Formats: sequence, C-alpha cells, structure tokens
Amino acid sequence: MPDLFPVWLSLRVAGLATLLTLAIGLPLAWALARRRFPGRDLLEAAVVLPLVLPPTVLGYYLLLLIARRGPVGRAFDAAGIELAFTWRAAVLAACVGSIALLIKAAQAGFESVDERLEQAARTLGRSEWGIFWSISLPLAWRSVVAGTVLAFCRALGDFGITLMVAGSIPGLTQTLPLAIYDHVQQNRMAEANALALLAVAGVTVLLMGLGRLARLRF
Amino acid sequence: MAWREVQAWRLTRPVSPRTIETTMWRFWTLAAAAVLWAMPSLTGQAAAQPARRAITVFAAADLAFAFKEVVPLFEQRSGVRVTLVLGSSGLLARQIEHGAPADVFFSADRALVDDLARAGAIIPETQSLYAQGRIVLAVSKRAGVALRELGDLLRPEVRRLAIANPDHAPYGRAAKEALQALGLWERLRPRLVYGENIRHTLQLLQAGAVEAAIVALSIASVPEVDVVLIDPRLHGPLDQMAAVVRRSGRPELGLAFLQLVQGTEGRPIMKRYGFLVPGES
Repeated sequence: MPDLFPVWLSLRVAGLATLLTLAIGLPLAWALARRRFPGRDLLEAAVVLPLVLPPTVLGYYLLLLIARRGPVGRAFDAAGIELAFTWRAAVLAACVGSIALLIKAAQAGFESVDERLEQAARTLGRSEWGIFWSISLPLAWRSVVAGTVLAFCRALGDFGITLMVAGSIPGLTQTLPLAIYDHVQQNRMAEANALALLAVAGVTVLLMGLGRLARLRF
Repeated sequence: MAWREVQAWRLTRPVSPRTIETTMWRFWTLAAAAVLWAMPSLTGQAAAQPARRAITVFAAADLAFAFKEVVPLFEQRSGVRVTLVLGSSGLLARQIEHGAPADVFFSADRALVDDLARAGAIIPETQSLYAQGRIVLAVSKRAGVALRELGDLLRPEVRRLAIANPDHAPYGRAAKEALQALGLWERLRPRLVYGENIRHTLQLLQAGAVEAAIVALSIASVPEVDVVLIDPRLHGPLDQMAAVVRRSGRPELGLAFLQLVQGTEGRPIMKRYGFLVPGES
C-alpha cells in the first residue's frame, strides 16, 4: 500500500486553493459582468491566459515571482513566510491553474441575472453589498457552483505548475498527481496504479456529492 | 447537518432575504472551518520536517534505480533520514537556483552544476564527478524485432525510435552524437520521438509507443526490454556531477551522502547499475 500523505495533501491543497479562487474570482467575475471600467476587456482576456499558457511556463514565471528573491517572495520572506517549495506554493499553483474556470462560469452566471431585479432592490434601499448576496449570487448560484466544481477538479489535478513552484518533495509538497508520476518514474507501477485508482474512485464519489450540492438551492 | 435535514429545512423555510443571509453565513462559517482544518496540519507537517536529522537529495532521473539502494544504505549508516526528489536535472537546477530546500544535488549534466557554481547556489569545493553515464539501445521484447547494433534501426520494422530531448537532456545529446557519428541521424530523424527526460524516454518504450529507444544503461534493467550496449567512444563523455547546495543548513550531512556514493560502498552499487565510476573502467 502506498503512502497516503499525497492524498490528504492534495485534498487540502485543492480545498484551500478553491477557497482562494472563490475569494479572488467571485468579485472579479462580478466586476467583469456588471461594471464598466478602463481595461475591462484586457482583464477579461487576461483571466483566461492561465488556461492557454503551458503549465510549466506558467509555473516558471510564478516561481520567479514567489522565489525568495522574487518581488512577491521577498515581501513574504520579510514577514517570515516562505512561499516557494512549500505547501503554500502548491495552493497558489492550483489557484492560478483553476481560477479562469471559475471566473468564466461565474461571469456568465452574473450576466444572465436580470438587471431589473437588482435595480428594483436598489430602489427599495438595499446596499450594493446586500444586493450581491441576496439577488445576484443566489440567481447566479448554479453557474457559480459549476465553476467551483470545475476549479476544484482542476486544482486537484494540477501537475505542471505545482511541479515547478512547489517541487515534488515527498512528505512535504508531493501532491497526488506528482506522487503518481514519481512512482512511475521509479518503476513502482503497483503503487502508481493504486494511487491512480484511489484518485479516480475518490474524486468520483466526491463529485457525486458535489452534484447534489449543485441541485441544492442557494 | 445530515442531508435529509438540509432537504427538510429547504422545503419548510420560506425563501426570504433573511434566510438567504443566514445561509450565506453558514456557507462562510463552513469555509472558515475548512481553512482552519487544513492550515495547522499543513504547517505542522512543514515545521516538523527540519527538526529531525534529515536531508533532501535532488537527483537526476537516471539515478532512480541506483539510489533505491544507496539511500537506505546511507540512512542505515548515518541515522539520517533522506528525502529523495527525482527529476530532470535541468528542472532541479532551476529550482535550486531559486531556493529549493535541497541539501545535495546529483546532476546528470556537469554543465548545470558549473552554472550553479557561477550563480553561487552551490558550494564549489564540494563539486565532484561521481559517475559517467552509458547509453544503450533498448528494444521492446513485444515488438518482435531483434536489433544487434545501431545500424539495425534502419530496418522498416522500427517505426519509431525514442531518445531524450537532445536540446536539454544529456543522454539525448549523447544519443544524437552517436547516431551522427554513424551517419544515421538524418535518415532516422523522421522516426524520432523525444522524451522529456531519460525515464520518460524509457516509458515510451515500456508503454509500447515505440519499438526502440536509446536510454541510460542505469535505468534499462526492466523486464520488458532487451539491451544492446553502445560504444562510449561514439559520443562525448556523460560526466555526472554532484555538489552540496549552499543554502543547506547541514552541509556536512549532504557531503557525507556524496562521499558514500563515491566511496567503497557506493561505487559497486553505481557500477552494478551501469555507471562508469571515475578512475576505473
């Protein structure tokens, strides 16, 4: 039986990455759907870029940013937080790889909400914040859930970006996809097959559960 | 809350802004709980690591099999726990340059270690040539073609030949040089498939995607393939270099590992896995 640490690490990394994705992606998706501001079209194109760029290329540039000498890495280093080659880097990698999926789905969801309903709430004195939570988000709920599920799956399966920025350090940053690859590298096919099977079975069950969540109304 | 209760709650509660906000807060409470659940265990894992006597060894993919023996031997001798990270030398070198937590680096390509020395990422005095690689022609048993020399690759049964990418993988470069030396390169080019590193190249053969591959002798001892040695004079030497990483907090442990590989205990293992050991033939 292979070491199961990568399974737990992957679940936690993908879970945290999905939360981070939601926190950044939802406001962005809402702004893209509802606000007109300079550079909006550029931003709309830019959020899809992570899907287009090869993961290893994306990973390399992310590494330049978060390495200890990189601009972001230096700031965190000053605060005593190491980013590159830790689980935090894996979370960032998974988030970068998956955020486009959430943004596009949620944006389409927000755009499909009848603007007159939001206007009506405005005339009734609801704050913009309240309108978002009580009108926009509930009506776009299904799209948001669909995007979240897609983003979570992409985060769980990320390989290239994670390999670059977090490395494949067993017991530390080796997530499930990296562990499977490592087993294959060392010709331990039985372990690789066991982990792959576990991943497929586990994710299937998880997705069946999430499917129910999507049917649940907001 | 059980699923049934959620269902019942949904059906009985009228949907009003108030309940929506309650749901919202439940959602965020759940999210916050998830974060709290995930965080300490991750940080705990990360913090627990360096406290023990442990080193992280970054090693080229061609060492995958030899180090399966070297690592337990070192752990037994020294009581130091080893975390082995295998990958293509180029990627590992980039990561070390950017502060990866490696203690010692075994590269398949000496040029990468020289570059790291210039960048100040390794301790130059510890730089040492620990082995020379050999390339072999590996033929899939399933393909049913018997090849005895590189010239046989021209036979029509060999539809695809895998080599490691000669632009960055040292074994790929050696394969290209050997084929060029025999005047086969141009003629075989349309049949070539490039692997990302030497292990991946062998996997193409193991998976049956190609009939033959030129790989490192050190990893070719898998049951599915037959092996034909290639004369090392046909290509430039595959000098493999190792060094202790400057950022390492315990350079003496990395050095001890390096010395074991080069010492009386490590050399026979390296030879058994198909490396040439410096100073011997």
